[in-house]
Amino acid sequence: MNESEDLKAKRNLKALVELGRLINSSLDLDFILNNLLLTSLGKFLSTRGFIALKKDGCLKPIAHKGIDDQLLNKFPKISNQNELKSDEFKEYLNSIKIVMLDEICSSQECIGIIALGEKLNKIPYTDDDAEFLHTITNIGATAIQNSLMLTELKKTNRILDSRISRLNSLFELSKEFGLFSESTKVARLLVYSVIGQFLIQKFAVVSIDGNNIKILESKFPQDELLNSINKINIKLITNSLLKNEIELNYKNLNKLGVELIVPMQLQGETKGLILLGKRANEIDFSEADVEYIYSVGSLAIVSIENQRLFKEALEKQKLEEDLEIARDIQRNLLPHKIPQFKNFDLVANTVFSKQVGGDYYDVISLDENHFCVAIADVSGKGVSAALMMANLQAFLKTICKQGMKIDEATGLINDLISENTTEGKFITFFWALIDDETKQMLYVNAGHNPPLLIRKEKITKLDKGGIILGVMKTMIPYLSENLQLEKDDVIVLFTDGVSEAMNQNGEEFSDERLEKLSVSLTSKSAEEISVVIQNEVSKFAYGTLQSDDITLMIIKVK
Amino acid sequence: MAEFSTSIKDQGNINIVYLKGFLDAHTAPSLENTFSGLVDKGRYQIVVNFKDLNYISSAGLGVFMAYIEKIRENGGDIKLSSMSEKVFNIFDLLGFPLLYEIFKTEDEAVLKFNEKK
Repeated sequence: MNESEDLKAKRNLKALVELGRLINSSLDLDFILNNLLLTSLGKFLSTRGFIALKKDGCLKPIAHKGIDDQLLNKFPKISNQNELKSDEFKEYLNSIKIVMLDEICSSQECIGIIALGEKLNKIPYTDDDAEFLHTITNIGATAIQNSLMLTELKKTNRILDSRISRLNSLFELSKEFGLFSESTKVARLLVYSVIGQFLIQKFAVVSIDGNNIKILESKFPQDELLNSINKINIKLITNSLLKNEIELNYKNLNKLGVELIVPMQLQGETKGLILLGKRANEIDFSEADVEYIYSVGSLAIVSIENQRLFKEALEKQKLEEDLEIARDIQRNLLPHKIPQFKNFDLVANTVFSKQVGGDYYDVISLDENHFCVAIADVSGKGVSAALMMANLQAFLKTICKQGMKIDEATGLINDLISENTTEGKFITFFWALIDDETKQMLYVNAGHNPPLLIRKEKITKLDKGGIILGVMKTMIPYLSENLQLEKDDVIVLFTDGVSEAMNQNGEEFSDERLEKLSVSLTSKSAEEISVVIQNEVSKFAYGTLQSDDITLMIIKVK
Repeated sequence: MAEFSTSIKDQGNINIVYLKGFLDAHTAPSLENTFSGLVDKGRYQIVVNFKDLNYISSAGLGVFMAYIEKIRENGGDIKLSSMSEKVFNIFDLLGFPLLYEIFKTEDEAVLKFNEKK
């Protein structure tokens, strides 16, 4: 070996050490490849070359010198080492004037190739050159491998970060959803979290309550959205729908720009939908994305549903309280004790229904020999009906002591009630003034179920009077009728709760049944008659829910 | 509960919104109010300064998405500035730099608005 060769070897060694130190000090792939390529070009006095690395199973040129970009774009698809020897590839290398090729191999696998053009001095590459190039690529391989691993690690880290961020969001939302009281707020929070996570500008959240579709939040045109949604059966959407399915089956929604529909489900039942427009970064929704949105939606719907149930319970409670108050008012309006009379045996009572009906009766002593009886049914239920009843009682108690004629008094009561009622409310009302001495009875019936006067098994219906109270001011004067009552006459006054009591077959107790029963009972005392009728009604309606008050007043002439 | 507050400074036509504390699902409505207040007044040129923001969650990011369209339709923009690295990473992770201009300093963001004129 001569001296110059020795010197050359030393220089080569020095260059290799330097290259090794340089590229191993960096993890920047571009820097590494650039140096690797430049060192090789410099060493072999070549003007062109490239490095291609395996990416997604195929070789891809990453760094290049002296070769046109366009030519590099035509790089053939190479997925294994055999293809490096293919004619196609050789032809391609010729076209870009590459004459030298080496594989870059890490300890495990081939990760790429380095390719060089002919030397400037046209001297062909020698075996020594090939060996030297191989040494260079060996040094480079480690650095490239490290750099690739770092990139991969960074990528994995980013995916992990994004998973963590999603988990955090879920955790945060689950906390918040428990706190919010309104479904619109929950929906808004749900939406913010999703659009923030996925860069979405158009969105909507709808919920289903029974058959009602409620748009909780929408950046799509509301009316059109509602129109499109009303045309589909939301309950049938049990899986998330991606863009292509929406294009195919939900053209209207697709037109609005909906690209993803995620159902919000509770116990497998769809209770709402999240509709999303396209992502600003134009990336399609992945399976994991959809799953995340589904999770957020499930959290939200639990909260929305809880709120709904809570509200419902609250309303029910309020309604029950309302009814309780009404019941109290009504009970207090009825006479606590019924006065005793010389010639009349009088019994009255009401069986209240679970819901408050509007039955009312009263027996008022006017003076030693006169008294007034009244029975009424106020339309509607609850507090408003109870208050109307209280009004009626107040008018009645005042007017019956004024000594007015009963027909005129009825007209006056009607005027007062009409002034004080809201549209559609009315009262059926029957009242009578009875002389305890002469057994005369003067009555007016304002649309109430006609009381039955039973004399010797014959029924007379007490139906003289006029229109029900509260519908309009008195235009046509009320009629009254004067009756001379006789011993053993029985008068049965009742509300529709008696005649319209239903049995399990949906049949009414009926006027006929009541009349027939009443006629058969005339020999009994007022108390007994009342008890038997009530028993018969309750026997008839056995097993059904009493939906209206049942009021019965029996007057028997002694 | 984590604290969050916003304050607004008018600088000509530009409104600088300062965020402070923790912007999460719980505090997001507060920022929402700030934005809708500005939009209602027709003030569409907004710089958000994140200098004192310690944390932002996806619900907080959602507020930015919810208003950007309306604001840009009206010729305005929301520009972001002065983020801590932690906060920037969250924005970056979700791809916000694609949609929003993010500046190192408030002044740069303001300058960008003025440049356009």
